[in-house]
Amino acid sequence: MARILVIDDDPDMVLATRLCLESAGHEVEAAGDSEDGLKKLKASPPDLIVLDVMMDSATAGFQLALKLRGPNPDPALGRFSKIPILMLTAIHTTTPLRFGPDKDYLPVDDFVDKPFEPDDFLHKVEALLKR
Amino acid sequence: MVERSLGSYQPDATLPRDIASTSSRLILTRWAAGAVVVLATVLCSRVLGLPLPETPLVATGGVILLYNAVFVLLSHRAYSPQPDEYLRRIRRLVILQVGLDWISMAVFLHLTGGVTSPGIPLFLIHMLMVTILLPGPSSYVYVALGIGAVATLAGLEAAGLLTHYAVIPALPAGLYRDPIYAAAAVVFFGIAALATVTLAASIVTRLRERERQINGLFQTTRAVSSTLSLPDVLQSLAGGAAIALSSARASIRLLDETGERLTLVAAYGLSSAYKEKGPVEVSLNPLAQEALAGRPVLVRNTAADDRLQYPREVLDEGIQSLVVVPIMGRNRPLGILRVYSEQVNRFSAADAEFVMTIARQGAVAIENAMAHEALQRADQERAQFVRTVTHELRSPVGSAQSLLRVLLKQLTGELNDRQRDVIARVEARLNALMALINDLLALAASKTSGFQEKPGAVELEPALRVAVEVGIAEAAEKRIALRFEPLGDRLTVQATIDGLALVFGNLIGNAVKYTSEGGQVTVRLMRQKDTAVVTVADTGIGIPAEDMPRLWEEFFRAGNARKAGIIGTGLGLSIVRRLVESYGGRISVQSVERQGTTFTVTLPLSSANTEPDPD
Repeated sequence: MARILVIDDDPDMVLATRLCLESAGHEVEAAGDSEDGLKKLKASPPDLIVLDVMMDSATAGFQLALKLRGPNPDPALGRFSKIPILMLTAIHTTTPLRFGPDKDYLPVDDFVDKPFEPDDFLHKVEALLKR
Repeated sequence: MVERSLGSYQPDATLPRDIASTSSRLILTRWAAGAVVVLATVLCSRVLGLPLPETPLVATGGVILLYNAVFVLLSHRAYSPQPDEYLRRIRRLVILQVGLDWISMAVFLHLTGGVTSPGIPLFLIHMLMVTILLPGPSSYVYVALGIGAVATLAGLEAAGLLTHYAVIPALPAGLYRDPIYAAAAVVFFGIAALATVTLAASIVTRLRERERQINGLFQTTRAVSSTLSLPDVLQSLAGGAAIALSSARASIRLLDETGERLTLVAAYGLSSAYKEKGPVEVSLNPLAQEALAGRPVLVRNTAADDRLQYPREVLDEGIQSLVVVPIMGRNRPLGILRVYSEQVNRFSAADAEFVMTIARQGAVAIENAMAHEALQRADQERAQFVRTVTHELRSPVGSAQSLLRVLLKQLTGELNDRQRDVIARVEARLNALMALINDLLALAASKTSGFQEKPGAVELEPALRVAVEVGIAEAAEKRIALRFEPLGDRLTVQATIDGLALVFGNLIGNAVKYTSEGGQVTVRLMRQKDTAVVTVADTGIGIPAEDMPRLWEEFFRAGNARKAGIIGTGLGLSIVRRLVESYGGRISVQSVERQGTTFTVTLPLSSANTEPDPD
């Protein structure tokens, strides 16, 4: 059992991920935007972050990930840099090549396409938790 | 405000060419003149028996031919790639030629009878040529020198200081000493010379002026029609107007959205201080008001004209007169075009009319360029709109699909068969809807230039391999053998990674979709000369011959595909074709119903293929 923070502005997506994760026995905390996510992250660091790309802006998720783990991370957030990040993205569908987990491009560990396949999603979650 | 050199504009480019060609005509004529002097002398003295001073005359002809040969050489060596330098050298040569000709002419007249010489009218021909070559004051100087030469000869011979050659025996022997005859001959020659030169000069000047105007108009027309970039159009227009009026300075101001202020958008030859003199408010500028009403306005003397908004700046810039014309668009005035001169009263009403013509040409080009800019802006806005709408459409559908899949996986509890069936149907409909949204987005993107990233060098084989790998999962479900036959060469094409993923994802996806269980799909990469060729061949249902012509239409689906109940949007192939063509490639299809289909994509190889391997 792990503690997972889901940051997504779409409550239905949050519900879908929550149902999935809870069925696998994980504890889920949800945040509706980057700011809320950071607050909850600081309050109690999770074992894994599930992060949406498009929230209040088209790249809000990218920017949050860069803040945590980019080439110039926010020093105040340094202690969270080891938490694995699984990114939920719709862009990934149309651009399977460009958004590989490239450290120079995007500091996340893996991607899940939206809409997601529960099996695929849970598989990636477990893989990241084991690392 | 863009300031740049005029590129193809060379205001003096025609002048050196002009004087150079006239100079070569002068040389050509001189060959004839020298030869005629020699031959005519021999003919007249030997055949007609006239008492000509044969040796000196033949020598004069010889000298003419000799120095002409020298000038031929010098003209060749005078060439300089810089028009100004070339012009200077040619002018020097022409003046030298004219000087020597004048001496030869005087010697020739002296040897053929001085003031009684039948050759005097020949001087007029030479004066005419000089006028054409060097219009303006220098031609009158030459006329004076010519009259002077004839008068001096008459005087010196009459006074006995110079030998008189009586070449025509029929003339009275003392005629050259008769003051009345000599005076009359010199005066009438003078009048004829002056009249000839004056008439010729006025014709030449007008001709030159027209030539310059036509050149200005031609250059303007060519320049403004060769580009859709507004700054370039404006700059060409200002330059063309200045050239057409043989002026060094011109400017264009366009009305802003309020129609109350004129903003400087192009300047030719103006100082930066003058360009920054301040805003031109239509309400404060009587010249602009008059021009914007549709009429050309002449300011003959800036020092004495109270219609100027910036009199001090105008005088500081050395502008003594100017012409202002409106640039009239189809429905409204667009702005004003001004041409300036450092001379008082430099422009005529005809000049103003002529600039109006140029401004009319310019107005069309300006409106075209503006329309082009507006189109590009609209394209950008549409791209943004498509992006937003797509996100707004995809988010809810994606969430609903995700929720349904959670239900179907029974993560929230067990479902009975009927529930599972209903939810599966809903999910299938949503899947189709999502596919449609994705295709619509891709189609909109392929039609919106601002949406796509610029094509760059992309290696074809890895892109193809990814598309094949995506297809393998689907193929496996239907027990279809999906084979990839790579080439091994690194082929690079001009495209985008996303675009290639769409093209081959669609073609391979279609092949798998329209091939029944146990069939085959083969993807092959080949090279043919300077092109990369990819074929995607299947053993599927094929395309009915009657459907082939409409295959690339948006939303069109072949009859057999629809009948078979295979889900599709009918957008895939039109997206694929647009993308392939945007990369400079071609796509074709061969198909036999119930046997299979082969799509062939041909893409030009980018130059990167010929460069050395970076590894």
